[in-house]
Amino acid sequence: MKLFTTRSLAATTLLLALSGCERDEPTSYLIPKEERSVSMPGATAPAASSQAPTMPTQAPTTAPGGMQVLPGMQEAANQAGEIRYTVPEGWEELAPSGIRKANLKVTDANGSAELTVLVFPGDVGGRLANINRWRGQIGLEASTPDDLPAFTEGYQISQHRGLYVRLVGEQQSILGGLLPFHGNTWFFKFLGDNSTVLANESNMKAFLDSVQIQDTHH
Amino acid sequence: MKSLFQFFSSLKLTVVLLAFSMMLIFFGTLDQVQYGIWHTQQLYFESFIAVWAYPEQAAGYDQLFWLRIPMPGGYLLGGLLFINLLAAHFTRFKMTWQKSGIFLGHFGLILLLVSELMTDLLSKESQMPVDEGGRSNYSQSHRANELVLIDRSHPDYDSVHAIPASLLKPGKPIEVPNTPLSIRTVSYYPNATIGRATNGAPTESPATRGAAVKMGIVVTPQPVGYADNDINTATAYVEVFQGEESLGTWLVSNVIDERFPPQMVEAGNSKWEIALRFQRQYYPFEIELIDFSHDKYPGTEIPYNYSSEVKIHHQDSTKNQKALIYMNHPLRYEGLTFYQASFANQDRTSIFQVVRNPGWLLPYISVLLMGLGMCVQFGMHFVKFLRKRQ
Repeated sequence: MKLFTTRSLAATTLLLALSGCERDEPTSYLIPKEERSVSMPGATAPAASSQAPTMPTQAPTTAPGGMQVLPGMQEAANQAGEIRYTVPEGWEELAPSGIRKANLKVTDANGSAELTVLVFPGDVGGRLANINRWRGQIGLEASTPDDLPAFTEGYQISQHRGLYVRLVGEQQSILGGLLPFHGNTWFFKFLGDNSTVLANESNMKAFLDSVQIQDTHH
Repeated sequence: MKSLFQFFSSLKLTVVLLAFSMMLIFFGTLDQVQYGIWHTQQLYFESFIAVWAYPEQAAGYDQLFWLRIPMPGGYLLGGLLFINLLAAHFTRFKMTWQKSGIFLGHFGLILLLVSELMTDLLSKESQMPVDEGGRSNYSQSHRANELVLIDRSHPDYDSVHAIPASLLKPGKPIEVPNTPLSIRTVSYYPNATIGRATNGAPTESPATRGAAVKMGIVVTPQPVGYADNDINTATAYVEVFQGEESLGTWLVSNVIDERFPPQMVEAGNSKWEIALRFQRQYYPFEIELIDFSHDKYPGTEIPYNYSSEVKIHHQDSTKNQKALIYMNHPLRYEGLTFYQASFANQDRTSIFQVVRNPGWLLPYISVLLMGLGMCVQFGMHFVKFLRKRQ
């Protein structure tokens, strides 16, 4: 007898608790750069798959702390391990933030360039897609797999096989390192005015040589 | 107390509840013609009390417009059936081998009631349109909207700040998370038509910035449509603040989408796109539509099969896979189910229904239990019968 009333009470409570559990709240999160758009069919005007406007590259704004990131991005950044490196002479070190593992800056008479280190889970679409994303950032056309040897070479980063990328654009250039590392991909991107970037190529390589990623897998 | 028990565990109650269930389904079906499946489900099956009103389209409405029939709704009937079954078990049922089949069957039925409730409360449905050759990493709600401010200044990622439209109550200030901004809704219309004012006509508009000012857009509120293929044009005037300072009032609407230049909110060195859009859910993978095909019955326009060949590109490429999605053959991936729902743009766009339902296995289990229970019960009788004959 008693048993039944307790149970039915529990069931009713559960029901009420479940029905009140959905609350809408403002949120914020990071997503990979959007390069395409699909309009919902049924909209009034004919759907045009337009390129989402790409903004001119500017000095990155710091992502606020405590930002909720696309599922898996922040966790991966947290779990990817810490990174140690030597700051090249004349470069200044800025504070890392959010999913950015390191952030360095160099300024000379001809302009400035910034080095960012990011880590994402998985291969983030693969080598070619990421290199083409970088090419787009400095106004270069997308390239095909056959073109890659012209501006990439194998490069050891933190005792693992990575890739060194050299992209020279009209005004801006990128020297970069791509490193698949235990299920994540690390991006070392040195972007800025052509002459500053190219004058610092030996510094960039010295930086990559100095990188040590905490390796919990060996 | 005892009589209450007798009432709850009685077979009479079961019969009455089942009769009411039939009535509910009957009137719900009548209303579905007018309101579409989604709204009818809310009115009749996801409620405690449902009221059927004499439909305007029906003959004799002028005489019968006052007719209203209240009846118990789905939650009430389901809940009472659940209690009825449990109470009957506790009061009358003795667990013996002879009755194990009945017990299994009833347990399956209880599980079915529970799974229906879980589906109601926990499952989420959205749609993902993908163009042939294109990719998508998000799905969007068919009804719920959100106000978004998007910062695209970072070269590696975009930062989205979203406020569900259900919070857009006129006058209520809301802080935009992780930005120095806050917004105040001037007015919100769940459905509206928006168009450019005809030549020289004065436009009354609270908007001070963005597309509404540039293009002289006027908003005409409309009643909300409930039919399954109705798309309601949620529209709002939103004032944006930085601290105490007003940055202006924008008109946002879910038809002012990617086809238009983005409406920008600027504060200091930062810029955000402001838009109202169907609520989005982003995933850590992209679905690429390789090919969509749709076969018709010969000589007619009636489709008998649609199928989409897709490839999934996950951030973690070990989880990449290919799949063929067609009618009654959904793709289950990462806790989501992708159904072939529809298509558009002369067969160049495929639309998937994306369902996240944590309880999707329960109905299968419960039907299996009921079947097993029946087999056991009849099997035992059959064995007894055979023994008697010998």
